[in-house]
Amino acid sequence: MIRFDNVNKWYGDYHALNDITAEVAQGEVVVLCGPSGSGKSTLIRTVNRLEEIRSGQLVVDGFDIHAKSNTARELNRMRSRIGFVFQSFNLFPHLSVLENIAMSPMRVRGVKREEARATATRLLERVGLANKAGSYPAQLSGGQQQRVAIARALAMEPPAMLFDEPTSALDPEMVGEVLAVMRGLADEGMTMMCVTHEMGFAREVADRIWFMDAGRILEAAAPADFFGAPKHPRTQRFLSDLRAH
Amino acid sequence: MPGFDLAAVLGNPAFRALIVAGVEITLAIFVCSWLLGMSLALVLMVIRLTPSRFGERFVAAYVSYHRNVPTLVQLMLWYFGISTLFPDSAQEWFSDHNGEAIFAIIALGLCQAAFFSEDLRSGLRGVAGGQSEAARALGHSYVGSMRYVILPQAVRNAIPALVNHTVSLFKNSSLAMAIGVAELTHVAREVESRSFRTFEVYAVATVLYLVVSLLLMAVGAALSRHYRLAAAR
Amino acid sequence: MAALYDILRDNWLLLLIGQYPYGPLGGIAATLILSVLGIALAFPLSVALALARLSPWIALRWPVTALVYAVRGIPLLMIILWTYFLLPILLGHVVSGFATMLCTLVLYEACYLSEVVRAGIEALPKGQGEAARSLGHGYVGRMRFVILPQALFNMLPSMLSQFISTIQDTTLGYVINVQELTFAANQINNQLLTQPFQVFFILAITYFIVCFALTQAARWLERRVTTRRLGTTAPTAIPLPTGEELA
Repeated sequence: MIRFDNVNKWYGDYHALNDITAEVAQGEVVVLCGPSGSGKSTLIRTVNRLEEIRSGQLVVDGFDIHAKSNTARELNRMRSRIGFVFQSFNLFPHLSVLENIAMSPMRVRGVKREEARATATRLLERVGLANKAGSYPAQLSGGQQQRVAIARALAMEPPAMLFDEPTSALDPEMVGEVLAVMRGLADEGMTMMCVTHEMGFAREVADRIWFMDAGRILEAAAPADFFGAPKHPRTQRFLSDLRAH
Repeated sequence: MPGFDLAAVLGNPAFRALIVAGVEITLAIFVCSWLLGMSLALVLMVIRLTPSRFGERFVAAYVSYHRNVPTLVQLMLWYFGISTLFPDSAQEWFSDHNGEAIFAIIALGLCQAAFFSEDLRSGLRGVAGGQSEAARALGHSYVGSMRYVILPQAVRNAIPALVNHTVSLFKNSSLAMAIGVAELTHVAREVESRSFRTFEVYAVATVLYLVVSLLLMAVGAALSRHYRLAAAR
Repeated sequence: MAALYDILRDNWLLLLIGQYPYGPLGGIAATLILSVLGIALAFPLSVALALARLSPWIALRWPVTALVYAVRGIPLLMIILWTYFLLPILLGHVVSGFATMLCTLVLYEACYLSEVVRAGIEALPKGQGEAARSLGHGYVGRMRFVILPQALFNMLPSMLSQFISTIQDTTLGYVINVQELTFAANQINNQLLTQPFQVFFILAITYFIVCFALTQAARWLERRVTTRRLGTTAPTAIPLPTGEELA
């Protein structure tokens, strides 16, 4: 579903992504973890081309998303087929919750208003916020806003979802409600790439965990192997630092 | 000084007609120059948003000129100066068709466009950075993200400043008197010189100005309350 | 271009100092003196007005608020006409155009400036006043040694902006025959009659040069103020308002 082929990216002289070759299969849940500055956010942002790459190929659902020959229309269409959830939610403050979710199917896909609103209502129920349809983002807690953001991405019916540290900006007591929604998505077979520090989530939901450091994927393993018998010394050090507190 | 005698001013039909005409002209100048200013400000914003460096420099120079030269001087330059650059036939047409008012509207409108475009620009800068990313990530094109996400927020942010400048524009209509437009202040002076009821005439004009200004400020306050964008995280 | 140079060469003295010594001081000199005096006298008044609006006594707050709203809601030209009419009555003798204009400017700029001062005081962290109070300062001491020095320093760029507005407001003196720069330019135009565009172009450019230079100075000042204050007070991005922009 998502394939990286020798993907490289530099910020000036800094080699942010170093020859990444990896694949996320359909229906697979991959968690990216690693120390800060390792390139995990950068990597996930290249998937819908919020970041450019210098060389290599990135194919999402059969579409070469970084090809120079892509027209703007093709790129926008591809983006609409990849759900992205931001660390800072980025809900549209001038629209109500329902409008936040319904607006993009209407304006990007040309979905009729009644249908878009019906879908939005259904998705709000799914994330447990049906009673907040008329509220505005500023009136919601962080956890609620992030759940709306997930519903907003789902409204575009993407075959794959990307999560960039979705719970890092939340107060601890709200992390659970967002992870529960993400777990529900995984159980339904959604292809997911998730950058997170929530190791409990990784252990229980991920099919594979990619550990990144300094722009490389140092280790990629199933949770049992990753936590139980990490091969790379850097991974071992990372995990022991995590356990230390 | 004889006692306050409002009837001498408002009771007199000739004076009343003059005052009403003055109010009409003031409002006409205000509305026309506001429309001109706002349309031009939108054009300036579009120019500014294009990647052309010349466009950016042009708009910056335009704004700088209109902010640094006093409005009265701009009016004089247009009416006494630029009007003479037109061909004679055009100048005759102007003097037959309320040329003073036309040039007043042009001068005030062009000046106002500079202020409005700066207000819109600050409003644009106040939109959180993640907004355009979120819109693009959902698949909106550049135009779509501007239209449905960025610009609605920019305008809402800009409303307090836009309202303030609208009130100033209304007050600036009085400057047109210096080039002979028979707006309210000019009319007040005229009625005053004919009736010798300085206090009453000035009071009437003052109240009229105040009513409209305060009305505009109240509408502005209501608008910004309604559209207040509390900072979402 | 040659026409511009000729006009300047023949009339530069008039533009600079008016008809002095054969008449009152005029031209740019009068404009600048009027502006400097206006803002200098308006400043203490504006601080008083701002403090009145922030005071806990309604008897003080409401009249001052009403005054500020009134001055903000009436065109400057109308206020000039009022002053022109009332001042001789109040003082009992004829008042020159210059004095009338000065009084009007002081009142007008003080009202706008008081909004700037008020914003500056309110933008300070509450902790400053609380710290001063817990050290035992009374109201006057608090204001004099802690609040006002900081607020006024922070508002320096805005005050310079208001000074630039004052310079632009002096042009309205033309309507009551105050002999400032705009009046001088009109005199020249009435003499020459054949080159109105050139004359008013010179007028516009002169104001542009003066105000533009001061605007750049205000921007430089704002950078200095922000960097100096970064340590002690929270950085508040105070945009440079002109007189009309103050809410």
